[in-house]
Amino acid sequence: MQLFFEQFPIVVRSLNVGFLQTLKLFFVTLIGAIPLGLVIALGSMSRVKPLSILSRVVVWIIRGSPLMIQLLIIFYFPGIVLGKPIWGGGEGGRFAAASAAFIINYACYFSEIYRGGIQSVPVGQEEAGLVLGMTKPQIFFHVKLSQVIKRIVPPMSNEIITLVKDTSLARIIALQEIIWAGQAFMKSSMGISGAIWPLFFTGVYYLACNGLLTLLFGWIERKLSYYKV
Amino acid sequence: MAILEVKNLRKSFGATEVLKDISFTMEKGQVASIIGSSGSGKTTLLRCLNFLELPDAGQIIVGGETLFDAADPATQKERELRRKRLRFGLVFQNFNLFPQYTALKNVMLAMELLAKDKTADARNRRTPDEIEREAKALLDQVGLSNRMENYPWQLSGGQQQRVAIARALALKPEILCFDEPTSALDPELTGEVLRVIRSLKSSDRTMIIVTHEMAFARDVSDHVIFMDGGVIVEQGDPNAIINNPTQDRTIQFLSRFN
Repeated sequence: MQLFFEQFPIVVRSLNVGFLQTLKLFFVTLIGAIPLGLVIALGSMSRVKPLSILSRVVVWIIRGSPLMIQLLIIFYFPGIVLGKPIWGGGEGGRFAAASAAFIINYACYFSEIYRGGIQSVPVGQEEAGLVLGMTKPQIFFHVKLSQVIKRIVPPMSNEIITLVKDTSLARIIALQEIIWAGQAFMKSSMGISGAIWPLFFTGVYYLACNGLLTLLFGWIERKLSYYKV
Repeated sequence: MAILEVKNLRKSFGATEVLKDISFTMEKGQVASIIGSSGSGKTTLLRCLNFLELPDAGQIIVGGETLFDAADPATQKERELRRKRLRFGLVFQNFNLFPQYTALKNVMLAMELLAKDKTADARNRRTPDEIEREAKALLDQVGLSNRMENYPWQLSGGQQQRVAIARALALKPEILCFDEPTSALDPELTGEVLRVIRSLKSSDRTMIIVTHEMAFARDVSDHVIFMDGGVIVEQGDPNAIINNPTQDRTIQFLSRFN
């Protein structure tokens, strides 16, 4: 027990550093995937056939294959197969590759949520806007957008909570996120070796983070509950 | 001079011809009711007048200006259609209010957007104060001055439809169309909506009402059009058509209401 209390602050300091990397990947993914998802959604709904087919094929490939494989392909393919390593060495390169994989992957999931949200707005809303002389962009921004957001908050919160946990997959390309930091104590790290509890303890970080996100999304849902669709 | 001339309008969806050579004219300030069974093309006709559907053939002429001519693509540009739509208003069967806005904002929104539009007519370049005053006056007119800050879900169907009527009036359309305005309402709520529509009759407001309320159509209209299978079977004076129809199909249709 005494050993545990000696180890605890050392482990927490190391896990904090790892968790910072986890959070960085989480936020970079959101910042990239939220707008990119909209582009893909608009592509999927486009009346230009080749564009909509392309978008849907991309979504099928990305959603149809494991994120772990996508991480490995994006990280290793340019260097090993093409002979042109684009990610650079070290933690910075691994972070860039992981960010690219996560942004593409999550943008595809988000795009389907957006598409569902946009298409679930009754056609009568658009028609009401048209007969009132509104332009298509005015109808989108002043009539539909709020209703779309209201409809997509629950599925988006689900996906974003999954993203927090999915960041641990970046361990596969040795990104030094929190799982990597916890695992290090199983071998040897900071003078502690053969300890498995730090790895288990990383779960507390995920739980705390997702607890906060659950509160945040609950608050957003309540904010939007002043009207019904 | 006729305010509205509809000439030889045709519309098909796929192989189904929904409107077959529809022609009629209306004078300013007239109220016309369109009656007929479901699927007779009444709603499609209103949607064509509001350019929610583009007719395959025919012309729509308002106040002497040819707004739409199926033979002239120049009259069918999206930008132009938006401006032309403003000459018509449409009240929908299921209201289509904007759920995220209060009753007041529902009425104000289109006026606000149009006021910012530099290409809009001068009469639509209103200040925010004017717009709010106008919207409140309209809601007062439909008997909802105490409901302005309510959201649609807080209103009964009849109240929602009255907000929708105020919203349609806000842009001062020359021809106001109603697509079965009481069909989605409980029988006890139809009265309040019909009363409001009746009160809108005035010398400078032309109205076209698609309805199944025969007594209302007879009492409020100057002109009744009976449609069946995409054609106008009979049209003319409301009392003549509804009390003494001459065509077999009209007699058969109206027998269910008497």
